[in-house]
Amino acid sequence: MNREYFIIFYVLLISSVCRAQNKQLLYDFVEVPQALMLNPGMETGYNWYAGIPGISGIYGQAGTSGLSIDDIFANDGLDINDKVRDRAVFGLGIRDNQSVTSQVEILSGGYRSKRRPEDFYSFGMYGEFDWINYWPRDLAILAYEGNANRIGERFDLSHLKTRGDVLNVFHFGINRKWNRKLTVGVRAKLYSSVLNYTSTNNDGYFLTQQGQNNILSNTLVANMRLRSSGLRALENAADVDASEITSTILGRGLLGGDLGLGMDFGFTYKLNPQTVITGSVLDLGFIYHYTDADNFSLEGRAVNEGVEIILPEALADPNADFWQQLVDEIEALIPFEEDTKSYVTFRPTKVYGSLKYSWGIPSNTGLQDCDCDVSATAAATRNIYRNSVGGQLFMVNRPRGPQAALTAFYDRRFGNFLALRTTYTLDKYSLTNFGLGLSLQAGPVNFYILADNLLAYQNLAAAHTASFQFGLNILSWDTN
Amino acid sequence: MRFLKKRLHFLLLMAVVQYACVDKQNFDQFDDLSVTPTVTSSMVYVETPEAVINDAAGIDFYSQDFNFDAFNEDFFAERVLEGSITYEIENTTSKQIEISINFLDEGSSVLDTEIFIIEAAPTAVLTREIFYGGATGRSLDIIRNTSGIRVFGRNLGDNSSVSTLADPKIVLRSSGSFRLRLK
Repeated sequence: MNREYFIIFYVLLISSVCRAQNKQLLYDFVEVPQALMLNPGMETGYNWYAGIPGISGIYGQAGTSGLSIDDIFANDGLDINDKVRDRAVFGLGIRDNQSVTSQVEILSGGYRSKRRPEDFYSFGMYGEFDWINYWPRDLAILAYEGNANRIGERFDLSHLKTRGDVLNVFHFGINRKWNRKLTVGVRAKLYSSVLNYTSTNNDGYFLTQQGQNNILSNTLVANMRLRSSGLRALENAADVDASEITSTILGRGLLGGDLGLGMDFGFTYKLNPQTVITGSVLDLGFIYHYTDADNFSLEGRAVNEGVEIILPEALADPNADFWQQLVDEIEALIPFEEDTKSYVTFRPTKVYGSLKYSWGIPSNTGLQDCDCDVSATAAATRNIYRNSVGGQLFMVNRPRGPQAALTAFYDRRFGNFLALRTTYTLDKYSLTNFGLGLSLQAGPVNFYILADNLLAYQNLAAAHTASFQFGLNILSWDTN
Repeated sequence: MRFLKKRLHFLLLMAVVQYACVDKQNFDQFDDLSVTPTVTSSMVYVETPEAVINDAAGIDFYSQDFNFDAFNEDFFAERVLEGSITYEIENTTSKQIEISINFLDEGSSVLDTEIFIIEAAPTAVLTREIFYGGATGRSLDIIRNTSGIRVFGRNLGDNSSVSTLADPKIVLRSSGSFRLRLK
């Protein structure tokens, strides 16, 4: 492994999963159409919008709990071996994780129904890359130190939990203002998986202890499985021609790969004109991997005390290959097998909830809360309050159970052209995560940019998490 | 206000860009990273009851060459830095025994020899650790080129007496412990 590969791997490792996919800056940021992707039941004021293809929504997030690039590579005069040993190998726990998530909207649009103005339809396609890895503590210690000084200590194989996805998502959502208080929404998703690998349900251990006959015995109890889909197709494409990789990715992403279905649900409910609660469940779905599955397993139990020669039995066959017998015996006890069975993966389901209080109607506009009926024009339902404050809860289902984050936010609107959002997010990985979002409306053009963990921008290399999102839309708040 | 509308996003971006920075990192440190785990495992176990020794036609009661590919696997041979092999000989027979261990290369040439002579029971377990590599150990090439082991047992006593201990036998135990360079 050369240095470049290691650094790329490390940057990826460090770059993101602890709060993966928590878009606290975008959630319920009603000025930005992409917020509909986080709550299909969000209040929608616009009549239509069209994302600029490829740049309407670009999102990236990277994070790690427990380690940053700066922790290892800071030019601080410390020995890197000490830093790796103390901060990574022995400093990280099995609940520490690293993740990267990115999404790029390829197509995005929405429009309000003329016949039923209370309905707003949205649709589009986006590509997603999602990778998470939990720190395999025992395996890291075994690789770093070996077993010689850890006699009697079990190395837990269940510490290996990792998963990666590359997929394309086609979606169509309906948002309906049910009555004056309630807006609900649902979104159907069709997943087209380009690539998946999953190794999350491993079990077993490796143990070296005093042997029964010989000095030591090595015991391996394994129930490990790695399932993958799409890897072989990419490998075959690479063997033919590098350009084939692109066409293979496009082919698998445009419904030629493994397919799956999912749903998003959401709502917005006004407790009173100034107080709103919202909630949503996203990616309640699965993908059936059947086109290019390639699975590997290691299952069984073996105890090894080396080559054993016990007389007089060993004299029966003077040409016996004791070494090969030992190898064959271990392979029979713990077979390493490969198959192409199809399998199902469930999407990492996300849940959002929020409570928001708004105030401050501009005094010079004469606007009042319209308490609008469902037939009111979209523009009339636009949020007229200058200020909002509230809290959000985010949860995502991950291989080691749900991860949660709490966010407090404050929104400030300047006329109809500018909206700002500030957030403070609290989770087990960061106590100082402040974010800032901006939505700028210049005529029909909407530009937004969101970034969190701003304090980390003092030294990005020391950041445990960072995310950004920006995009460009054409939208109308007025007529169809 | 018009100026603000037109320039705000640009000004904000500039502010963020000016504000964001990265402390100097030294990725060359990676070259100094050393990952050298020490792995250990049992190697060979040989057990010979006293009855087999007494029944042998001559004084050499056992001689066997067998394949042993653990050391010359590429992964191991290319990464081994140093290590040791520990032997334990336990003799509960009534006779003095000589055990000889030879490491053999592909052509069955002897690369290294270790000879143990252990008195008749009662006697303590004979333990010996042989080091390879490093400043004082034997050549690591012995380990890297070993593809077979010869075990040789010789009876230095009589072939009629029987130990009064239960289940008398001569036992050879061995384990290897080697440091490997992964990075």
